[in-house]
Amino acid sequence: MSRADADVRVGAVAYHPRIVTIWETFLEHFERDGVTTDYILYSNYERLVAAVLAGDVEIGWHTNTAFVALEQELGGEGRILGMRDVDAEFATVIVTRRGEAFDDVRGLAGKRLALGSRDSGHAAILPLHYLAEQGLDAAAECELVRFDTDLGKHGDTGDSELRVIRAVSEGAADAGALGETTLAAFRAELVPAAAGLEVAWRSPAYYHCNFTALPSLDEELAERWQAALLAMSYDDPDMRQAMTLEGVKRWLPGDRSGYRALAEAMAGGSAGAGGSSGA
Amino acid sequence: MSRRRLETEGLELGGGLEVLLAAALEGMAAGERVEVLTSSRSTALELHGWARSAGHRSVGERMPAGGPYAVEIERGSFARVLAGPLPGRASGPPLRDGELHTADLRRAVDVPASVDGAAGFAPLGAIAELGAPAFRWTFNERDAIWADNVAELAEQGSAAQWDASRDIPWDAARGLADFMERAVSQVMTFIAQNEYAALYVPAAFIANINPRYHEVLLWLAGHVHDEARHIEVFTKRSLIGGQSSYALASTELSLHTLLEEPDFSGAALLLNVLGEGTFLDLLRFVERHAPDAATRAAAALAHRDEVRHVHFGISHVRRRIAADPAQAAVLVDAAERRAGKLTQMSGLSPLLSEGLTVMAAGSLQPAELSDGAAAVRQLMATMEVNRIRRLQAAGFDLRTAQHVSDLHTPNLM
Repeated sequence: MSRADADVRVGAVAYHPRIVTIWETFLEHFERDGVTTDYILYSNYERLVAAVLAGDVEIGWHTNTAFVALEQELGGEGRILGMRDVDAEFATVIVTRRGEAFDDVRGLAGKRLALGSRDSGHAAILPLHYLAEQGLDAAAECELVRFDTDLGKHGDTGDSELRVIRAVSEGAADAGALGETTLAAFRAELVPAAAGLEVAWRSPAYYHCNFTALPSLDEELAERWQAALLAMSYDDPDMRQAMTLEGVKRWLPGDRSGYRALAEAMAGGSAGAGGSSGA
Repeated sequence: MSRRRLETEGLELGGGLEVLLAAALEGMAAGERVEVLTSSRSTALELHGWARSAGHRSVGERMPAGGPYAVEIERGSFARVLAGPLPGRASGPPLRDGELHTADLRRAVDVPASVDGAAGFAPLGAIAELGAPAFRWTFNERDAIWADNVAELAEQGSAAQWDASRDIPWDAARGLADFMERAVSQVMTFIAQNEYAALYVPAAFIANINPRYHEVLLWLAGHVHDEARHIEVFTKRSLIGGQSSYALASTELSLHTLLEEPDFSGAALLLNVLGEGTFLDLLRFVERHAPDAATRAAAALAHRDEVRHVHFGISHVRRRIAADPAQAAVLVDAAERRAGKLTQMSGLSPLLSEGLTVMAAGSLQPAELSDGAAAVRQLMATMEVNRIRRLQAAGFDLRTAQHVSDLHTPNLM
């Protein structure tokens, strides 16, 4: 059967060449599980959201920022079909050079705070939001050092976060925000800039990526696709490599409870993608 | 749900804490929990992200002002390595007077009669993880490649290494008379030409041998290394006196057919038993009649290696025929096929026999040349007798041995 006749088209953003490897492998799994699936790659999340809304794909693999944007456009609730184990309890951390950690976020006032891409939920939007909740209007009280690389990819490439930790490590910033799993990855890869840093603050937990369909997607098809996704196992030798590349060890059904803070931040705008600009 | 505690003091992520965590989690079942205690607030904050990235969950924390801090981690349900559990620690292979011998690595375990042709580079005793790419080895049957003493022979090869730059008294080769230098250079070039074939034949098999037959791989790699040194030493000897010589087409023709043998046992018969076997007599002759100590040393050292190669060939072919008597006819067929391709060859090249004659004569005086020619005739006779003897040792009956030896006569290698 040609993939052009697949039951489901999934849209994803090609933030790295490995996305092709991941999806070519995942498609074999979906086919084995009886839900033929194809994938269509977009260069940025704005196009992916538009494609989901236009019905060019049945399911979008969205960042949290893209998911919230989709729902804003949709004027209603998308149907969440799944997320990675790491998406279900994501957090942002703020790092400093060792020995310079602060106990209270007010301690950041007057300091230089490095942020990742302004469309990244975890490296820019949410840290500003949560700091504001805890009493620090960082846009007004800190000198923001922004690294707006790979805009449209919502921080997926990790490039802006690498720049954040380098800025802190080299003294160009006093503190920097990044996803906690990104920091774990930098540690695991022995990235030199991470070595001299410590975590000073951890945000409340929130959700990150999810697979979203429009509410109009056929119920039975949605359930079959979700069942196939959840059946994918990290202990399956044929899947392990692709799942490692995707950063998932277990797929979860997902729910919408972890997106409220981001929705508020993006609706409010004060701490959002349009905030003040630094570097 | 059982609960454990892990004291980590001030150890940090990126600074060794991962090792402690991995060791603790390794012994835990999915769903079991461990409370990680740390004196560092930063480490406690960072442990949540580490746990999730590593496929576990952080399910709670205690962060009292001033510490110590605690993060509770629940082990994830995935297998860290896609393979069965490692067997319990055993006593390890025995030593013989402090020496660890290759043959003893197998211990009581028989060499398997056949192995998975898709398996990868799992060293002896290692358990292969699932999910590795599939390899496509050609030689996956023990009897097609094995020799009973292959482990010992591989070790002997390692122990008998020598250095073609420093172990030969090169000064001694200088200053020979022109006629003698020309003779020696031609013989050395001929030998070096043959050593190329002796390198390329085993080398072509190496990449197709299933790595589970570790000893065969070590043996062949040593064989190739030996031949590399032989090429080196005979090339150096042919050049040291400043005299060029010919790489003869008839020699090439013979060697070309040797490279065409696809069967491991066929190649072992043609190269190791017949070719290198015949070279044992040739090298002995060169050693005896060498006009200088450098040529003598090169021939003697190469002879020592060739003895090993011939030994392997005989041992392998004998085992193959013993396991499957029908193989004898297959092997004879290999020799016949090679001979069939060499119908235009008439025997030893005159340039080679002249070179050997001059070396044996030591001069161009008629009486001495006559003695030299007799010595070369005697060499040919000795080669034939020894070839038949080796073929019998390899498991052929006398008539077949004579037949195969006759087929080989126009070649030395």
